[in-house]
Amino acid sequence: MPEWIRLALVIAAKDVRAELRSKTALLSATVFASLVLVIFNFARDPTALSATDLAPSALWVTFAFAAMVAMNRSFTVEREHGALDGLLLAPVPSSALFAGKLLANLAFVAAVEAVALPLFVLFFNVDLSRALPGIIGTAALATIGFVAVGTIFGAMAVRTRFAELMLPVLLLPFMVPPLIGAVQVTSRLLAARPLSEMMGWLRLLAVYDVVFVTLAALAFAFVVEE
Amino acid sequence: MTILAGTAPIVTLDRARVVVRRGVIISGVALLGIAVVVVLALGFTPVEARQGLAQKIFYLHVPSAWCTLLAFSLVGIAGGLYLWLEDPRLDRFAAASAEVGVAFATVMLTTGPIWAKPIWGTWWTWDARLTLTLFLFFLFVGYLALRAAVHDRHERARFSAVVGIMGLLLVPFVHLSVYLFRTLHPQPIVLKPSEPSLPWEMLRTLLISTAMFTLLYIGYVTIRYGIALAADAREERDVG
Amino acid sequence: MSAEPPANGGYMVAAYVVAGAILLGYFLSLARRAKQVLRKQ
Repeated sequence: MPEWIRLALVIAAKDVRAELRSKTALLSATVFASLVLVIFNFARDPTALSATDLAPSALWVTFAFAAMVAMNRSFTVEREHGALDGLLLAPVPSSALFAGKLLANLAFVAAVEAVALPLFVLFFNVDLSRALPGIIGTAALATIGFVAVGTIFGAMAVRTRFAELMLPVLLLPFMVPPLIGAVQVTSRLLAARPLSEMMGWLRLLAVYDVVFVTLAALAFAFVVEE
Repeated sequence: MTILAGTAPIVTLDRARVVVRRGVIISGVALLGIAVVVVLALGFTPVEARQGLAQKIFYLHVPSAWCTLLAFSLVGIAGGLYLWLEDPRLDRFAAASAEVGVAFATVMLTTGPIWAKPIWGTWWTWDARLTLTLFLFFLFVGYLALRAAVHDRHERARFSAVVGIMGLLLVPFVHLSVYLFRTLHPQPIVLKPSEPSLPWEMLRTLLISTAMFTLLYIGYVTIRYGIALAADAREERDVG
Repeated sequence: MSAEPPANGGYMVAAYVVAGAILLGYFLSLARRAKQVLRKQ
């Protein structure tokens, strides 16, 4: 297998192992996701807004913010242990570094989403029997886009003073197109609408992913260069 | 050696002074031009029958939206060029354009609701132009916050450039999302302010206003660039 | 419809005043900062 892919997997595995040992990011993100779902439920007027109307937005707001918490933690943990500088001194091409970080972040965020989804089904009483594959697919499509942007912005934010604040401030505008698309598709999936009604949004998500994963990968070199 | 090293920054400080002065003159002319436009809009342009006097906000609102978009595009383009050429002038320009862009975005985002309230009965509408400008505002703010938080000049320039380019590429996606969203969720049919078949006097006033606003953008960016130039000159002199 | 246009001149004035305040305010801020950074040292 090409060297850089191997390096990327090594870097990703290192991050994931470190997180499995300390579990802080996953834990905080999971608690956060649960809280958001609970608040959404109590914040709505049951006579005015049905659970099914609110569900897609509740799910995606939860995913979005939990993902940000997870991405934030992954870089801060590394900074605290000074591992990032060590990583940069080693002759690792920035593409491998980016791919490794992206994979690790995707693993974190996927884990959080995997925990949040059953909670969502529980609290909002949705029937996912037919929609589940679609929801998982949409989640993957939307998540890749904003996690790629979050990975590169995280690498920048961690070098600033207010890192925890800087990442959300930079990232939120970039999360909006994938979020709009994801919510639109999810609500149609839950209503068992035909695929044709979602194609426009799915195309938007796919193009967004291609553009921003590529862009983030190319720009990463400029962020980590000394 | 120290004497020779001392002369270079002083020249740059003088050059900064020249740049600032030029910017002040351009801005002054533009502001006067805008004052003329105001007179033109209020006294020599017909009143729109259905919207009344409030429609005249249009002559400030649209040019400031244009300037916001112009400012932002140039931030992105200058950033891209900086990553390629590493010329500090591009970074200084990007920083200037971003700050000036915030000023115009603020004008747009305040005149927008003030116009919307009497016409549409609501302070905010998620129409394409307002929503996009709101996004640009947030992107600008993030950009400037990042710049303020990074201390090394070269790192700051690189980081800003990356955010600038990515932000610029985000714009079509935001626009498309809003457009798709609105075609699926038809908004109530409203009076469509301006847009095609503008009477000649209104078009004339709009074009002159846009020209004056663009001139003001150039003037402000020039002053702001001069300030950045002076700050860099100072830093070099104090360090060297 | 030959109705009178609505009497919303107040909004127009508000918008023009706000816009002017922002643009002039920014100009003054720029001028002040320029003077400060260009001061002879």
